[in-house]
Amino acid sequence: MGEAEREVALVRELAALTERHRQACPPYRRILDAIGAEPPYARLADLPWLPVRLFKTHELRSVREDQVFRVLTSSGTTGQRPSRVYLDREAAAAQPRMLAATLREVLGERRLPMLVVDTRSVVRDPTLSARGAGVLGMMNFGRDHTFVLDEQGRVDAEAVKGFLARHGGGRFLVFGFTFMVWQHLLGLGADLSQGVLVHSGGWKRLAEQAVGNAEFRGRLAAECGLTRVHNFYGMVEQIGTIFLEGPDGDGLYCPDFADVVIRDPETWQEAPTGEPGLIEVVSTLPTSYPGHVLLTEDLGVVRGVDDGCWPGKRFEVLGRLPRAEARGCSDTMGRA
Amino acid sequence: MLDDPKLDVRFPATGHVPVDGLLGELGGGLDVGDERVREFLAAFGRRLLRPALARRHPELGSLGFFLRPSELARTVEGLGTEHVRVPRGLVFHIPPANVDTVFVYSWALSALMGNRNVVRLSPRSGAVAEVILETLHEALTGADPVIAATQRIVSYGRSDGITAALSAACDLRVVWGGDVTVGELRRHPLAPHARDLVFPDRSSFAVVRAAAWLCAPRAARVTVAEGFVTDTYWFDQAACSSPRTVFWVGAEGDCDAARADFCEHVARVVAVRGWGVDAAMAVEKRVSTYGLAADGLAESVEFRGNALANVTLAAAAAAPRRWLGAGTFAHARLGSLAELVPLVERRDQTMTHFGFGGDELRELARGLAGRGVDRMVPVGSALSFHRVWDGFDLPAEFTRLVTVIR
Repeated sequence: MGEAEREVALVRELAALTERHRQACPPYRRILDAIGAEPPYARLADLPWLPVRLFKTHELRSVREDQVFRVLTSSGTTGQRPSRVYLDREAAAAQPRMLAATLREVLGERRLPMLVVDTRSVVRDPTLSARGAGVLGMMNFGRDHTFVLDEQGRVDAEAVKGFLARHGGGRFLVFGFTFMVWQHLLGLGADLSQGVLVHSGGWKRLAEQAVGNAEFRGRLAAECGLTRVHNFYGMVEQIGTIFLEGPDGDGLYCPDFADVVIRDPETWQEAPTGEPGLIEVVSTLPTSYPGHVLLTEDLGVVRGVDDGCWPGKRFEVLGRLPRAEARGCSDTMGRA
Repeated sequence: MLDDPKLDVRFPATGHVPVDGLLGELGGGLDVGDERVREFLAAFGRRLLRPALARRHPELGSLGFFLRPSELARTVEGLGTEHVRVPRGLVFHIPPANVDTVFVYSWALSALMGNRNVVRLSPRSGAVAEVILETLHEALTGADPVIAATQRIVSYGRSDGITAALSAACDLRVVWGGDVTVGELRRHPLAPHARDLVFPDRSSFAVVRAAAWLCAPRAARVTVAEGFVTDTYWFDQAACSSPRTVFWVGAEGDCDAARADFCEHVARVVAVRGWGVDAAMAVEKRVSTYGLAADGLAESVEFRGNALANVTLAAAAAAPRRWLGAGTFAHARLGSLAELVPLVERRDQTMTHFGFGGDELRELARGLAGRGVDRMVPVGSALSFHRVWDGFDLPAEFTRLVTVIR
């Protein structure tokens, strides 16, 4: 779906969702009332957005407590409360289905043998970390799961060798967090040329080593023969919605049921293509909580619209906005 | 204390020493109001008032003004003479990491009272602290050697050992820095005779009589708006004495009209002075104000650009005490000044006011009976440091009295 067509369809659905949440979620209604948000909304950029951090500070749900089927929580950095996302049965069922639809584009219809660039213990921990939850979620899309790292976090070359002996001749799925992939896959010396790599988790740790996406892709191709590489961007507050990197590495693309609006943080207007700003993510999936239009604290830029290998906007995540710090009288030793 | 951590002595800059070395080399011999300290402080203050410096860091101008000789003399002369006043001895100061000038006020008054001082300056203190240290060294050049012998500004990373040793050695510990810091410091015992002077988390508000605002000539309103902007934007509205809520006192129509006009003036001053906030602060303000709305505490949230946000509270009792981001003002209406009494809490520190008489304010102070509000000062003076702070007469706290009867 081209961007213009997509926007028309999304605005209609998201405006309806806005009214639905307004009716069903009193704190959300009070916010819309306080800021004077009223329909009609002509463009995506006209829809009222919530700062994503509100899901850390407030309980926001549009279903009765007894209809909550699952509560998802984010990792939350130290000293911060995690986000809490409330799913009813319907929303909980929709999210893996829509995630699968998005991934089908690069993985095909059938479950592929799967190499996980992590350790099995990460999914066994009873207090499942965000990393563990991410791995577990992706494991639904593969079979014959093989972990690249042993329980102690060391590379298990034998396991990888066995996996490739069984599956290395046909297409297989490789999944891991970006920094784990960089750290462990490169030195492996394995032929992964039939693999499709899906990775996520942010570039912060690689940016610290001045490694960008071009170098990441280049080294994987050169050292592992891995050329089908897809980064993705997503967050627990819009579970099921991921923005998947195109085959050429020319940006992150939006699934048909979602989009991004890059906002100039000074004027809050939509930034033109090529101008960086704050990333707002919109998706029709959040039906049980008002997370359908969210302003993130990530900086990004739209690289092009309807000009890449897939239709719609393609964008890049540039990094994270720093937390605002007050120069107050308190906190003498807190972070000394 | 595993690896004998050392302090970085930043004034007088002498490098790294272990804590017992520092305590061992500290000399005494100062009197209350010692002439040598007064000369040094005055020389230091004069340098802070140099136009180039005061322009670049206006808070240093205020500090220099505070240290002028007449003010120092007033402080010394203001002490009672019924008893013989003597220094407390060794004073250990822990100022906040993020307001660079506070440590100087605390230390200067203590030095003026003849104490030996050790000031713990955070290793992550800002550029202004560096300028202050440089200026102190300049002033030290012409000063009596007793200054260098009795005064120390040090930095050290997290070290319970050093904090414990300094706490055990001092006669008075001065903690500026919020509830968490006070709690952490109290883990380290003082000598039996010693005591703490603590400045925990505080919060402040403004009160304006609507009718007085509406009757005030334009020039006066502009001046008050300028003062309000100084009170609030200077330290990102996070200083404990910066107001967060503005209470409008009067009839509803008057209050609405006065508030609208006030916000116009404040917006203009903010624009003229070029106060802006960065994207991170802009997001912070959205998070906090939308949160107030979600909680039902805010009826309306209005942004005038990123720099100025106005929140209409659902009720005066909903006045937020926590920091909401630089340039975020909650507004509420009161029928009379007396309606403030049940709203005030222990953590309320400064009440900046406009349009009230001295008698009304004193009556309010008595009505509050010490449950909160330690300062009532005109709008524009919220950040002006005074030797009486948070309800303490600091020069008195920094001294002891010897009773002499013959």
